[in-house]
Amino acid sequence: MKKLFLLTLAVCLVACWWITGSPVIAQAKTVKIGAIYPLTGGAAAAGRELKAGAELSAKIANNMMPGLDMDMAKNAGIKSLGGAKIKLIFKDHQANPTLGADLAKKLILDDKVDGMLGCYHSSVTKTVSAVCEQYGVPMINGTSTSPALTTRGFKWFWRTTPHDKWFTKDLFELLKGLTQGKVKGVKAVPEKEISNLASACEKTEWGSHVSSIIKSLAKEYGFNLRKSLLYTAKAPDLSSEVRSLKAARPDVMLFASYTSDAILLVKTLKAQKAKPKIIWGQDAGFEKPEFRSTLRDSIVGILTRTVFLPKVAQIKKVAGQVNALYKGKTGNDLGGASARAFTGVQTWVHILEKAGSTKPADIQRAANAIRIPGDQLVVPWAGIQFTPSGDELGQNVLGSGLIGQYQMVDGKLVLEIIYPFDVATADMIFPFKWF
Amino acid sequence: MDILVSSLFAGLLIGMVLAMVALGLTIIFGVMEIVNFAHGEFLMVGMYTGLLTAQATGMEPLLTLPVAAAAGFLLGIICYFGFVKFVIRGPMVAQLLGTFGLMIFLRNLALLFFGAEDRAIHQGILVGKSFNIGMGVIAPATKLAAAALSVIAFWAVWLVINRTKIGKALTATSLNPQGARYMGISTERMNALAWGIGGGTVTIAGALLVNFWSVNPFIGLLFTMIAFAIVALGGFGSVSGAFFAGLAVGVITEIPGIWDFLTYIFNFGWMADVPMTSLKYMWVYLAYFVIMIVRPRGLFGWKR
Repeated sequence: MKKLFLLTLAVCLVACWWITGSPVIAQAKTVKIGAIYPLTGGAAAAGRELKAGAELSAKIANNMMPGLDMDMAKNAGIKSLGGAKIKLIFKDHQANPTLGADLAKKLILDDKVDGMLGCYHSSVTKTVSAVCEQYGVPMINGTSTSPALTTRGFKWFWRTTPHDKWFTKDLFELLKGLTQGKVKGVKAVPEKEISNLASACEKTEWGSHVSSIIKSLAKEYGFNLRKSLLYTAKAPDLSSEVRSLKAARPDVMLFASYTSDAILLVKTLKAQKAKPKIIWGQDAGFEKPEFRSTLRDSIVGILTRTVFLPKVAQIKKVAGQVNALYKGKTGNDLGGASARAFTGVQTWVHILEKAGSTKPADIQRAANAIRIPGDQLVVPWAGIQFTPSGDELGQNVLGSGLIGQYQMVDGKLVLEIIYPFDVATADMIFPFKWF
Repeated sequence: MDILVSSLFAGLLIGMVLAMVALGLTIIFGVMEIVNFAHGEFLMVGMYTGLLTAQATGMEPLLTLPVAAAAGFLLGIICYFGFVKFVIRGPMVAQLLGTFGLMIFLRNLALLFFGAEDRAIHQGILVGKSFNIGMGVIAPATKLAAAALSVIAFWAVWLVINRTKIGKALTATSLNPQGARYMGISTERMNALAWGIGGGTVTIAGALLVNFWSVNPFIGLLFTMIAFAIVALGGFGSVSGAFFAGLAVGVITEIPGIWDFLTYIFNFGWMADVPMTSLKYMWVYLAYFVIMIVRPRGLFGWKR
């Protein structure tokens, strides 16, 4: 009788341990990821793209999709977590860093999320990642490009996208390439014809960093930055800024703007009859569908840096497959924001698969050791691998950027790849044929 | 030189519209001595009215002025009879807090109906067109039209106030309400009319502004501050003062352009690094501050 009692007790204890402590059963059937994006306000258009990209990625991760050439599509859910599904909990930060931090606390304390994703605006990513760091919650950032975000030594923050220093360097390489005759369809341009630059960047975390990077790279590459100004984001009027830029008589105008500002800037440049030879936007607003649909053929010839163009879908099979799904869902092609939000969730899936657990320490170990091959990604990168130490802790070192140019092909506005030179898909329009 | 001339020209153009923005505030203050903190929100209503009417009917945006004026006039009258009439019996602080509450109410109502997104007019006969009028001055067609219509509307309101019986009754009410009552003027109606004209003029300004300025529910605060500065500069209650102060404030917002001109003349590197465009409204508030200290009744003010 005593033996039977002990046996029953042992069985009960094992059962209790199994129920409460086993890594498989302890994981709920869902892994909750908080996704904080700008779903309303000036960047709502970007927010819609980000949300759609992230949702599509979660859908692929949660369902078996045999026709898709990526590991994430081969299982229904996270295999190492017993098929646990990814559940994204979206919150709207309205481009407000304080609100972002409050939402992050709410997600961590009330919704008990296992990890975080977001936030697009670097200023919001800064405060949200600080909250995650405080609570020891892992955060993957797919779309914020201020270089400062990965120089803070945060242990719970990983960024998949390349940052603005790399992107801006691409621009200066393109300008240098123009003077050396490396650009497809353009004969070598005399240096003095494109030596004068002027920049206008919005003055939150992201834009002010881009502005200072432009300053230092212009110096490094020997260009003359005649005017560099910062303006208030979501500005209702930018005429005095545009007049100031115009007065500098620049050959090249550089911008870092979110959607509503980018549209207003181009409209004002057009109204003021500004005539630069090159207009370049640091992604964000310059790449959004609203930018194209509002300004239509006025933007032919404008350059934007990006990490994804529909043209990538033609040269990368998996990108084409995902793009078809995304287009079916939203009616638009994947863009820089949606492709990177997609990649953000995909990175979460790979990390969770590797960690086999939702414990923060296991996720941290897995993230620091992860290596996702480039052929798994929709973005044209060599892969994803984070620096586990050093000055840029948590930065993906295998990312890269593209520079696209709006061109009219068969009556349709498309973004053609201009840089890197070896994957250029069209001749560059130079100089910019004004409005 | 181009930058100097084009900045001054742009300053005068926007100044004419800003004068129209401030007109309603100065009329309401002149007649009732009440400061309307919700003035910028009235402007926002005008901007949304112009924008939505143009979008819904396909009408040329500049032709929506009568609709905006009617909406503003009605809004002013409703606010007076539904709210101001009662608040005015209380102490000054109750009036201030009351119109402050009205500001928050209107802003949140707009947020509820229209969301926080910026909206702008992208279609119209004049949208995107501009004229090169020499000396490096490029004048956007929408701004030219808005400035011209502002001057016409301003002049019309000035005529009503100075050349009609109703205008004289309004002036009498503002000078001495009790005396006006003894003369058989219904001061209550005059107060309501002041709110109606105040609302109507600022919504006209809103419908003009929305042709080249995007709108969101939070746009009002900026214009409330600018309108206060104009009214303080021109003199509380002075209609002609508001016009000239509007022009002055328009030119003050173009100080960054004047600074650029000086930068290129003197060619000092440090001058190019001063973030003048970020500070353009600071000069307006500074002017407000200085005028409050040096001449509290403003340049043309008669109220003491």
